[in-house]
Amino acid sequence: MSTVKISFKLNGRDMSVEVLPNTLLVDLLRDILGLKGTKVGCREGECGVCAVLLDGEAVNSCILPAAKVGGKSVVTIEGLVKEDGQLHPIQQAFISEGAVQCGFCTPGMIMNAKALLDKNPEPSDGEIRQGISGVLCRCTGYQKIVQAIKAASQAGNRE
Amino acid sequence: MSYAFKDFHWTRHIPIKDYFLPKTLPEALDILTEYQGRALVVAGGTDVIPQLRRRELDAEALVDITHLPDMKSIEENGERIVLGGLVTHASIASSPLVRKKAKLFADGAGCLGSPQIRNVATVAGNLVSGQPAADTSTPLLALDASVTIASKDGERVVPLTKFFLDTGKTILDCRREILTRIEFNALKEHHGCCYLRLSQRKALALPILVCGVLVKVDKKRRVIEEAAIALGPVAPIPFRATRVEEKLRGSPVSKETIEAVGAIAMEESNPRDSLLRGSSLYRKEMAKVFVKRGLQKALAQCGFPVT
Amino acid sequence: MAEKLDKKKKVKVITKEKVDLQRLIAAPTGLSVVGQPLDRTDALLKVSGKLSFGADYSEEGFLHGKILRSLFPHALIKSINVEKTRQIPGVAAVLTAKDVPGRNGFGAIIPDQPVICGDKVRFVGDAVALVAAESEKIAQEALERIVVDYEPLPAVFDPIEALKDDAPKIHEKGNLLSYNKLRKGDIEKGFAAADVILERTYKVPFLEHAYLEPDVIMAIPQSDGTILVEGPMQAPFTVRRNVSAVLGIPINKVRARQIPMGGGFGGKEDSPIDVGCRAAVLAHHTGRPVRLALEREEVTLQTSKRHPMVMKVKIGAKKDGTLVAFEGIIYDEQGAYASLGPVIPPAGGSHIHSMIMMPGPYEIPNVKVDAYLCYTNHPYGGAMRGFGAPQVHIAHEQAMDELAEVLGLSPTDIRRRNAFKQGSITATGQVLDQSVGLLDTLDSCAKAFDWDRKYRETGYIDRERTKRRGVGIGMGWYRTSIGTSGDACGANVYVHEDGSVLVFTGITEMGQGAFTVLPQICAEELGVRLEDVRLVQPDTDIVPESGPTVGSRSTTLMGNAIVLAARQVKEAILEMASEMLGVPIERLESKDRKIYDRGHPDQSIEFSQAAAKCMAKGKRLIGQGWWVPPPASLDPETGQGNPYFVYTYSTHMAEVVVDVETGEIEITDYVAAFDIGKAINPRAVEGQIEGGVAMGIGYALMEEVVLKEGYIQNMNLRNYLIPTSLDIPDIKPIILEVENKYGPYGAKGIGEMPNIPATPAILNAIANACGGRVRSLPADPETVYWAIQEKGGGLKKHENSF
Repeated sequence: MSTVKISFKLNGRDMSVEVLPNTLLVDLLRDILGLKGTKVGCREGECGVCAVLLDGEAVNSCILPAAKVGGKSVVTIEGLVKEDGQLHPIQQAFISEGAVQCGFCTPGMIMNAKALLDKNPEPSDGEIRQGISGVLCRCTGYQKIVQAIKAASQAGNRE
Repeated sequence: MSYAFKDFHWTRHIPIKDYFLPKTLPEALDILTEYQGRALVVAGGTDVIPQLRRRELDAEALVDITHLPDMKSIEENGERIVLGGLVTHASIASSPLVRKKAKLFADGAGCLGSPQIRNVATVAGNLVSGQPAADTSTPLLALDASVTIASKDGERVVPLTKFFLDTGKTILDCRREILTRIEFNALKEHHGCCYLRLSQRKALALPILVCGVLVKVDKKRRVIEEAAIALGPVAPIPFRATRVEEKLRGSPVSKETIEAVGAIAMEESNPRDSLLRGSSLYRKEMAKVFVKRGLQKALAQCGFPVT
Repeated sequence: MAEKLDKKKKVKVITKEKVDLQRLIAAPTGLSVVGQPLDRTDALLKVSGKLSFGADYSEEGFLHGKILRSLFPHALIKSINVEKTRQIPGVAAVLTAKDVPGRNGFGAIIPDQPVICGDKVRFVGDAVALVAAESEKIAQEALERIVVDYEPLPAVFDPIEALKDDAPKIHEKGNLLSYNKLRKGDIEKGFAAADVILERTYKVPFLEHAYLEPDVIMAIPQSDGTILVEGPMQAPFTVRRNVSAVLGIPINKVRARQIPMGGGFGGKEDSPIDVGCRAAVLAHHTGRPVRLALEREEVTLQTSKRHPMVMKVKIGAKKDGTLVAFEGIIYDEQGAYASLGPVIPPAGGSHIHSMIMMPGPYEIPNVKVDAYLCYTNHPYGGAMRGFGAPQVHIAHEQAMDELAEVLGLSPTDIRRRNAFKQGSITATGQVLDQSVGLLDTLDSCAKAFDWDRKYRETGYIDRERTKRRGVGIGMGWYRTSIGTSGDACGANVYVHEDGSVLVFTGITEMGQGAFTVLPQICAEELGVRLEDVRLVQPDTDIVPESGPTVGSRSTTLMGNAIVLAARQVKEAILEMASEMLGVPIERLESKDRKIYDRGHPDQSIEFSQAAAKCMAKGKRLIGQGWWVPPPASLDPETGQGNPYFVYTYSTHMAEVVVDVETGEIEITDYVAAFDIGKAINPRAVEGQIEGGVAMGIGYALMEEVVLKEGYIQNMNLRNYLIPTSLDIPDIKPIILEVENKYGPYGAKGIGEMPNIPATPAILNAIANACGGRVRSLPADPETVYWAIQEKGGGLKKHENSF
């Protein structure tokens, strides 16, 4: 059985894996590397709960072949918390603004929010809504998520 | 209507046995040849991977072309803009050059799917999907685009108007050929353009109607000199509404002109009824509305609002 | 020196079941935990991705279960061949109907759905075989090799067709699952006295919950002969009961354990019964742990939906808008299996709930409703946020607007005239004797929305005359409780020697904030902080019977049970504190971890000190609460009675802009006011409101399970559309508190109220903007477009062109 070797950076650390050729990034992260923070909702790239950052851009990991991350940097929700346990400002804002309900879309939302704020540190409400338009939430109506991202942008989010 | 096992039973995995990341175009073409149709070209994968999972597509191997060199640039070349075959929708939507000189294309590319999809999905892939609703097809048709297709037998350049064959089918065989370059007109200051899209929700939605409009007005005579109108999905393929364009050329900038071409647009459209995207009658009506609106906006943009 | 307490004089804290209900509301002094917008207790785990959902549990050691589904909506199974499949390496079991050890039937109310179909299939999604294998890949391959020979039968896909004598019979007893009627006053006299009579028909489709977390259940046989069934589930006791019957083992040998859930909305009230029974049968057969997970498409294909309905309304009023008569007919499409549709006496089940809610929150002296619940060969209706109330609100709220138009009254005037007040009598003859804030919600909503001005300023907003603005109102009410005679709730509270607390009740945390709100109630009651209270992950082996997390009942019923349990423990602690401080018990206050003399607050001890002393002296630190609501009643012949003991009320107002050339809608302003008795955690309540409104907007504008000849056409989230962040406006929630004497601190339910009035508010706003009245949902651009062309016809796109 053939395999593919992938060397990449995961949450800042160098990583080297050898996996089956049909491995998708979300399954590499969850099943092989044990990082369960990234969720699976539809396996079609339609709901966004699987979003991670690939070279700083938000991508749907459920439809991304793992082989594609070779030579690139992947950041997942687990990569946002600092070594000393301190939360990223976006995570903190999600808690204090009440933007978390069932929590299933939360990792995908936060990763998209990070991708947005890293590029556009002071987005308008409309730009925030655009930035998270690729992640579906059935619980919150998006309101407090938008407020949280706004609050995080005001708190300074460069990490 | 008959259904099979795969219509009601789903799985997590895609049935691929090999995944290749060739470093050069010849290498990629070699692998495709070796597999004799059992390998599929993949770029962003946002169409191909879900289709493989749903067993709508069948392949033993994937040839990922995203590492091929010299295919990610967006450059101006005289009167044309040239894109590499790996340029993503996100790059187009944010490219200052495209936003300035081909705004309707930047707008179209910016409508597709969602931010995550736009970050990896390539414009070439969108064209190759052969969907009449594709967001890049109508703007590129209006911009007189042509595509370069590479295969073992060499390269050929094909005007986009000859590229689409049927819904989901183009002249490109993605088991043997690779779309390496896209070229289209750079608009000048005197051009007005517009991209319009009708869908059932404001993101992550396949369109019910898309329309790309381009106009140029003869200032002195207030007469339309150039016009390009592309429509989809109101036929099996996205197309240039040539009868509308004929009528526009030489017509005065006026309400009557716009009304007249609206009616022609409706006639040129021939959509099927769709359970999910709407009835044929509605989409014909919308073709009329959008062509009229697109024209009004494009004309206003180049300084000739219709009052 | 402190005086020693005279034990004869001490005052006991009330702990008996028949409590003075007045004492269940606000504590004597200010609240310190309840009413605060505290951070959710599980938010930290969720934002760091550390909370384990079902799919995050390790798959090591588990067999993968999969279901072979029917290819036909109605067919006989002539034969099924699994022998070859059983021999595939890695396949641990291939089961057919005869392999079900106990009852081959499950269901939340009536067990009419086969675990594995033996003789026939009734919808595309019915199970005909189950497979367990070492990997998901092998399981899938095994499924594909099973050979089934079907004989398709004529099928029926419409509830009205299903009632005809010559319709194909789906179940033995026929296609009419339930017929229910409501009779109040004299309907003929009522219509005779009307100045105006309006007759309309409204139609709504199947809806999908579209919770982001697909279903997954793990069934693990234990070494002691019991079986553990765990996963996201809203009703663990119902899962346990069904698994017990299906496996043919006693209830006390089945353990159902709820784990955190990525959204439920009522769907995970019965989908875990479906997935759980099947996983359990595979586990029982193989003796090994089995994990049965559904792909997104399978969730849509196989699990319950919102009931579609055809609703006929005939409404009579006087010239001044006073309603005099209401006649309704409901054709409620149940689909292939009973799920949560049928009646659980006296007023449980979605169908009878729809009947009861049909006339709306208005005083009407003469009411007649006939409601038919019909089987069809379609996927089946279960519980979905609102449980049959959203559909009828779409009917009566639009009818009220249409009536107002005919009478020349404004939508607010006609509602103001008829809306429930304290003392009003409902269509079932129930006197609403307390906590009726409906008109308060109308007033505060109208004020915040600036209704009067906006109502005047509707019309075109652009020079090109393509966009028109309009406003609309939706008023609603929703019960707290499920209306069954067994609707009761237990809770246990344990206090430990360090002052930390455990709470046990069968509540599911599905994002609504239950794991925060219920501990808040407990913390307030005991006088500790929220972080001192932990709600134990519910498990039928550990928590008392508390019913399901549905019907907006949790905060109220489970909250009351927790209050009773907490007070029982508090009695022991306060007695001990009284001894320790030498202060009579009636002077003691417990707040923020301190127990102190109200008159001399510096005379205090730590809560934990009193608890530790209790422990040392063998005093009981275990509280047990059992709360029974006021009894539900409903006469089966007349539909008269008191079905639910209290209601939440709400008014929503929406402003939309309609593109009259395309039918596209944009929502430009939205205000929603609620009377919820008491907001235990106001931020959590806001979250429910905002999320619920978004769901209601989806129902209005884009959601529909599209079926063609029994086959769902849109099984994935690509084609079943729910709103994105760009489709939902900023929503302004308003919380009003008209105290409910039957709720903890005066609270009533909030879970389902928010999505209910949202849908008609949007539909009414659309009609106000452009004259296009959509009576067959969803109001997607094409439907709105035709409604504008028809100006009142509201034809649905499919009806127009097919």
